[in-house]
Amino acid sequence: MLLRTLAQKLALALCYLAFAGFVLFPLVWIFMMSIKNFGDIIAYPPRFLFTPTLENYVEVLFGNEAQRAGGQVPDLLKFLMNSVIISGGAVLISALLGIPAAYALARRRDKTSDKLRFTFLSFRFAPELAVILPLYVIYTRIGLYDSYVGMILVHQLITLPLMILILASFFRDMPIEIEEAARIDGARIWTMLTRIVVPIARPGIASAMMIAFIFSWNNMIFGLVLAGGSTRPVTMGILQAMTFDQIKWGMMAASAMVSALPGMIAAVLFQKQITRGLTMGAVK
Amino acid sequence: MARITAQADKTWMSKAAFYAMLAPALILLMSTTYPFLSGIYTSLTNQKLYIPASKFVGLNNYINLFETPLFWNGLANTLTYAGAALAIQLPLGLAFAILLDVPGRLQSFFRSAVVLPLLVPPVVAGLIWKTMMHPQSGVLNWLLAQVGIEPLSWLTSPSTAMMSIILIDTWLFTPLATIILLAGLQSVSGEVVEAARIDGADAWQVIRYVKLPLLAPYLLLVALFRVSDSLKSLEIIYSTTKGGPLDATRTLHVMAYEEAYRWSSLGRAMTIVFVLWLVCYTISGALLAFWQKQEAKNRGL
Repeated sequence: MLLRTLAQKLALALCYLAFAGFVLFPLVWIFMMSIKNFGDIIAYPPRFLFTPTLENYVEVLFGNEAQRAGGQVPDLLKFLMNSVIISGGAVLISALLGIPAAYALARRRDKTSDKLRFTFLSFRFAPELAVILPLYVIYTRIGLYDSYVGMILVHQLITLPLMILILASFFRDMPIEIEEAARIDGARIWTMLTRIVVPIARPGIASAMMIAFIFSWNNMIFGLVLAGGSTRPVTMGILQAMTFDQIKWGMMAASAMVSALPGMIAAVLFQKQITRGLTMGAVK
Repeated sequence: MARITAQADKTWMSKAAFYAMLAPALILLMSTTYPFLSGIYTSLTNQKLYIPASKFVGLNNYINLFETPLFWNGLANTLTYAGAALAIQLPLGLAFAILLDVPGRLQSFFRSAVVLPLLVPPVVAGLIWKTMMHPQSGVLNWLLAQVGIEPLSWLTSPSTAMMSIILIDTWLFTPLATIILLAGLQSVSGEVVEAARIDGADAWQVIRYVKLPLLAPYLLLVALFRVSDSLKSLEIIYSTTKGGPLDATRTLHVMAYEEAYRWSSLGRAMTIVFVLWLVCYTISGALLAFWQKQEAKNRGL
């Protein structure tokens, strides 16, 4: 056995501790900051024990007293709505186009199919600005700048290749017997896809959609270049709000927590599917 | 008795069906070649962001760019970033993966925890670390003080800014390396490990002599992803230093953004982007070719 002595066990425990500290500390710290009041935040040495408060969350989500009295909606809520529409729309379109594409790649294996898979992979290697700076010029000309349609379309660059790669390896791992039987019964490929493959592959499709949604949600650079005041996504929004007002750290921390929420929830509830999906999209 | 499994092959799906199913996705993604090509043309003009009229200037933008010291500084920063990210995250990711490969309840908790950073928006990661790295009131300097280390100026000094950015990148993306390598470690069949055990190998020797050699394609894949992503990293830098202080973290991608939005010189911005694109494609392409070779070799085994 590897762990023969107590010293080795202790060393290994220390490794785990360092590992956990490095991965988790920043998240724990920003969460703590988000539930501290101003005095606790600026205290030095930093306070690990304090009375928690939700005032930062209330202020970023529902506005301060003046805003509430005036019936104003705080910016963060608008940004969140924008992100839901953009990432949700992008993932739905990617599912519609990506499921048949991935199925084709999984069930016809030859040189062309392999080459196409690398083409989809290669979308990841190009610097985003190479496409979106020229796209800015085109979008302003045809009226897609700062529109949901424009944002949903450009987000296909993230969501579509990701979904195709994850789903292709998922479909490939599915036993082919049922499809074989259906084919002998005379099912056409389209019927097979909608009636048999999609229902069976539902868990895989769900996790691919979830991963695509998170990666689209987390993106900032598309919003930075192609979104204006009316479609600004949450990542862009919090950054903009924070650069103007550096002092409100509690609000910054609360906004950061809220905008990282989809990823956090998914990580806690669906860790296995996420890890599996991410490795499938990358490895196979 | 060997179970016979039907295998998908060329004849399973007709060529027509194959292309019909792929066409919508392919057409949508391939339509981005139009903005890309128009961007290359823009790099040959003196186009300004808010002025439609422009003049063709040939390779002038490229010649001017190569004559600016700032460009070479940007290229050096870009390569330093990518090189350091790889040099740190590959071994660290492997170490994490080896720690998580051990079965156990604690390990399964850590396997859940390790993906967390990967799901945080890079901009938010930048903001989180920026507050922790605050030179006066940040918690990192306080932690350093507890173990008797002098405070660092982190993102605010040219000598430590790049290191700080790479640290943030490492926190955010080492999990990707870890889960890919973990999948690699776990793909080694139990029988091989069992055989080595019977021959008297201990846990460490199993990792060193059985698992690691089979990990080569996975290591290459991590290298490919980490290098190609970090060459074009923008969001972490944009949310922390914006290229400063004194250009210490100004990579080519950041330079291109600034050129477009600060100086409105779209033509010159596209020149920088296109040079960066060439760098990305040369390096990623080489790694990809190398990886495919390894894959083929492994499949042949």
